[in-house]
Amino acid sequence: MFIRTEYEKKDQLKYISHLELMNTFRRSFRRAKLPVKYSQGYNPHIIFSMSQPLPVGMIGYQEYFDLELNQGIAFDLIKTEVNKKLPAGLKIKEIIEINEKEKSLQAIVNTAIYQYEMEFDKSPKDKIKLLKNFLEKEKIEITRFRRNKEDRKIDLAPMIHDGKIVEDNIWEFTISTGSSGNVRPQEVLRALNIETKGLIKKVPLVKIKRIGLFVRKDNRLYKPINSEVLKKEVKEN
Amino acid sequence: MNVRDKIYDRLIEVSNPERYIGNEYNIIKKDWDKEKIKVLTAFPDVYEIGMSHLGLKIIYHLLNKEDNILCERTYSPWPDLEKLLRNENLPIFSLESGRSVDEFDILAFTLQYEMSYTNILTILDLAGLSFYSSDRGANDPLVIGGGSIVSNVEPVALFFDLIFIGEAENHIVEIINKYNELKNDGLTKNEILIKLSDIPGVYVPSLYNIKYTDNGTIKSINSKDNIKPKIKRQLVSNLDESFYPEDFLVPYMDIVHDRATVEVSRGCTKGCRFCSAGITYRPVRERKKDTLLKQIDNILDSTGYDEISLTSLSTVDHTEIQDLVQELTAKYEKENVSVSLSSLRVDKFSVELAKEVQKVRKTGLTFAPEAGTERLRKVINKGVSEKNLYEACEAAFNEGWSTVKLYFMIGLPTENNEDLQGIVDMVNKVLEIGNEIRKDNKKSMKPIRINVSVSTFIPKASTPFQWEPMVDKVDLIEKIKFLRNKLNKKGINFSWNDENLSLLESVFSRGDRRLADVLINAWEKGARFDGWGDFFDINTWLESFRENNINPDFYLRRRSKDEILPWDHIDLGLNPKFLLNEYNKALKNENTSDCRFANCKGCNICINLDVDLDIIRNDYNVYKN
Repeated sequence: MFIRTEYEKKDQLKYISHLELMNTFRRSFRRAKLPVKYSQGYNPHIIFSMSQPLPVGMIGYQEYFDLELNQGIAFDLIKTEVNKKLPAGLKIKEIIEINEKEKSLQAIVNTAIYQYEMEFDKSPKDKIKLLKNFLEKEKIEITRFRRNKEDRKIDLAPMIHDGKIVEDNIWEFTISTGSSGNVRPQEVLRALNIETKGLIKKVPLVKIKRIGLFVRKDNRLYKPINSEVLKKEVKEN
Repeated sequence: MNVRDKIYDRLIEVSNPERYIGNEYNIIKKDWDKEKIKVLTAFPDVYEIGMSHLGLKIIYHLLNKEDNILCERTYSPWPDLEKLLRNENLPIFSLESGRSVDEFDILAFTLQYEMSYTNILTILDLAGLSFYSSDRGANDPLVIGGGSIVSNVEPVALFFDLIFIGEAENHIVEIINKYNELKNDGLTKNEILIKLSDIPGVYVPSLYNIKYTDNGTIKSINSKDNIKPKIKRQLVSNLDESFYPEDFLVPYMDIVHDRATVEVSRGCTKGCRFCSAGITYRPVRERKKDTLLKQIDNILDSTGYDEISLTSLSTVDHTEIQDLVQELTAKYEKENVSVSLSSLRVDKFSVELAKEVQKVRKTGLTFAPEAGTERLRKVINKGVSEKNLYEACEAAFNEGWSTVKLYFMIGLPTENNEDLQGIVDMVNKVLEIGNEIRKDNKKSMKPIRINVSVSTFIPKASTPFQWEPMVDKVDLIEKIKFLRNKLNKKGINFSWNDENLSLLESVFSRGDRRLADVLINAWEKGARFDGWGDFFDINTWLESFRENNINPDFYLRRRSKDEILPWDHIDLGLNPKFLLNEYNKALKNENTSDCRFANCKGCNICINLDVDLDIIRNDYNVYKN
């Protein structure tokens, strides 16, 4: 049986890396005695795959992983048992069953919402106006710095889908993520920094939160556990 | 007050912030109430090293088991965090509650490695404490130490209020409670320390006076009035019944030994003459197979680890090792739990055991012949023959291992060119054996690799070689060059120690209290994490020696047999003649067999330390009577 799980990673655990997070989950599955499936070969390990990694320092509220189990087991039970065995800061929120042939999370998740704790001194009215202008721009060009590769100019405009001011200095942006168009969360701030000639300050990753990961289809956002974006039939065990 | 909270978001600026967050699964966070005695353990190296240390895990759980004691942890901050703390004017904090050292009653260091001494100073300084015990008052936390290098802690002795000599399990709670009681009674620090020094194993350095002769050697070591003249090492007489934690903390970071661990035995009586642990952990005590099986089950349950390491100084020598391994593999193979053995003997039996345990995951194989000729192996009493090694490697290659690691030492007493050539010949022969097997192997086998790791022999306190000089630096460089040239070929990977680091370690291994000022001086000049190649700068140290008018060569020289040694007041339980006898036998190329499997060799530790011997040896009672 294949399951897709929504979880959150917050508090102190924002500082653990993607690999460390995977190990933490593997060990918690073992502690909870979950009947997980192992790979074959010389170095057997639990098969599970995760959605786009969170950068170290960033909290995520709606993150996902897929996992294969050897036998069916009630989702409520998985949730309570695994949550008991997870360290504070990690929590499973929802579980659904998925088709064995379901596309991977990395393949379907294409959009993310980030919340930024901004450093920006202006009246609320000016802020709204500035954001509106920014979102309406035809072209938002920045330089992308790449490790061991040449810098490259990219246009963010088609990959920034929405933006809003949640309260005072808390801003939210809906941007592309994944293999078919990816915006790094801090690039939005860099673009705003350039746009405002430095009035909007760049903030460290700990000031940015990932609110959720989504599948964007016909201009609407769906959670990857939403039946609208999943194969209709789940093979019965 | 939670210090860490003040810089929580700024931890993003330092490397590996997960070193400092605590919050590991199974972490123990006790309520911070007034009645509890608060102990902070400190490991003077970085988190991933410190979290792998078994002794500290035992202490952490042992103390937290007590209702009236609270124990938290701290590790050396990496230089980037040290800088951040200094910039923000913040002290070092505990991982559990984020509190600073001044909120604790006791700061307890573990002493593992001479090259982490400067890290002790960093922690003391970041705690706002003076380095010397004599400069700290009754209101400062009590600074205590213990660990595996207590056979000579003199270079750092005066930084500590007290040091525990030996295995602390049976006395640590008593020390803490007694300290609390005496402090509540309003005694002065000195009065408290005098009273604590009555407890077996407690060494209060300030109560021992060292005098020096004009030529720099030690004239006398005198304890103050009514203080025991010698501090006797303490040990756990029955390991099987002694406390062992089962709810280990599970770190996030990939630490050095990231697996569940059981201590199958403690101590080793193989009698290698260079080995300090072989003396300071004597005699061998075992846990019973059934005890171990139960512990392993509970540890795997509570941690979720999928690897269990059977650890000890010589795991393959455990009386029930074969049955233990068989039962473990039968039980856990289906659950995908792999078993690893921490130390392999150089023989075929070890390879067969390794094969048995590595059904789930295959890891590397390591053998330690230590020296290149039969003659030199007799000198150091490493009872391994070339035949043993070749058989072991042949078995390993036949079982599908393509890589083996071989450990050797250079700079050993009486070593000559023939011995070095012996290393080269052995390595070549092993490579040849591997290549032959690979050629005949029908299945595809990866190219044979021999990783040769050569370390520098350092004469250690309380070993038969404690009087020997350290190898001369020029000779050492020549020896390394010789091996590098000869082992520079396909299939062989040669690694060795930095010669300057070995020489410095040697100075401190047999050093005395006069080195304390050198340590402080080097620390002030920026020495940190010296054991990590990237930070070590010998010039810093040479300057510090010069500025303190100390010639490091004084500590590297041959010691005279009638000289008082800096550690002579530490009583490890040895017959005073034992080390000298062993030394003389070494010079005559004579072996001493393992007393577990042959007759007693008269080191007298079992009698002097009143060991409840659970390994039955026929002659033991005869000897005792």
